[in-house]
Amino acid sequence: MKKLIIIPAYNEAKNLENVVKNIKENAPSFDYVIINDCSTDQTKELCAQKGFNVVNLPVNLGIGGAVQTGYVYGVENDYDLAVQVDGDGQHDPAFLEKMSVVLQEEKAEMVIGSRFIDNQGFQSTGMRRMGIKYFSGLIYLLTKKRVTDPTSGLRMINKDIIRLFSKDYPKDYPEPESIVAVLRRNKKIVEIPVEMKERQGGVSSISPKKSVYYMIKVSLAILIEGIRKY
Amino acid sequence: MITLKSQMIIIGLVLITLIYFVNMVRKHQLDLRYALSWFAVGVAILLMACFPGIMDWLARLIGIASPVNMLFFFGFVFTLILVFVLTYSVSRMSNRIKVLTQELAMLKKEMNDRK
Repeated sequence: MKKLIIIPAYNEAKNLENVVKNIKENAPSFDYVIINDCSTDQTKELCAQKGFNVVNLPVNLGIGGAVQTGYVYGVENDYDLAVQVDGDGQHDPAFLEKMSVVLQEEKAEMVIGSRFIDNQGFQSTGMRRMGIKYFSGLIYLLTKKRVTDPTSGLRMINKDIIRLFSKDYPKDYPEPESIVAVLRRNKKIVEIPVEMKERQGGVSSISPKKSVYYMIKVSLAILIEGIRKY
Repeated sequence: MITLKSQMIIIGLVLITLIYFVNMVRKHQLDLRYALSWFAVGVAILLMACFPGIMDWLARLIGIASPVNMLFFFGFVFTLILVFVLTYSVSRMSNRIKVLTQELAMLKKEMNDRK
């Protein structure tokens, strides 16, 4: 069983060392690949100097394109499962072993680490929780499936979905939209409770100004995904 | 009615612009594929400037009272279509660039790993 951790990183030089160290300690059966999304800080130099396994994108592609590069890497190197762990240290690699066990035992195609099953750890702000509830409802309307944390970046997928995402993955804010793409193909998604930390550095890609665009764009994307034919 | 003087000015300007387009295509600065619609516009304006009667005839044909309104209407519709076509090619291009970027990054990684 080949297991891959994809770490999308944009200007995360401060956090990356800890993230990689944490993975080696808490998820030793996983390989990892850092996707450096054309960072403007020392990310590239740091990775070269420390000998990290890294793919350096020559042009900034945004989160969707960066994570997708990881899936392309996963297909080319024949990985059986892949999981995204953000480069900012929000995701705890200690949950990965459990996620991979659930993926195999429940024969799920996707396992999502959800903050809102046990409501432990960093719970995000009230406004964001409201937005997440709204997306959860929208996904339920379209697919009749409950996903409590559709914006969680901590997601593990099996080989089929790696192949699917390597060909077709949203460019920005990909999480809720790609969940619908998976559910619409009658694939199984399982959520397990996780705790997330507050980001250890850097800033969120969704600023208050962008949140209006985010809500509209993701709503539309979910609706359109809901009427696609496969 | 259009005066002979303004007719001459318009014809002159359009001819200069058309020659400029052809020259750009000749020097490979402009793709003929994308220049074609501009040639069509240039020729259409040229025809209307040479034979202003066309406009009155066309306006009457489709039931627009004033030929000027018809010009504005078609000008606007044409611009919208053109902008939309450009948006379409931008999305297509950004997808292609994304795939190329990913492939290039993977190739570079493989090369570095072999060293």
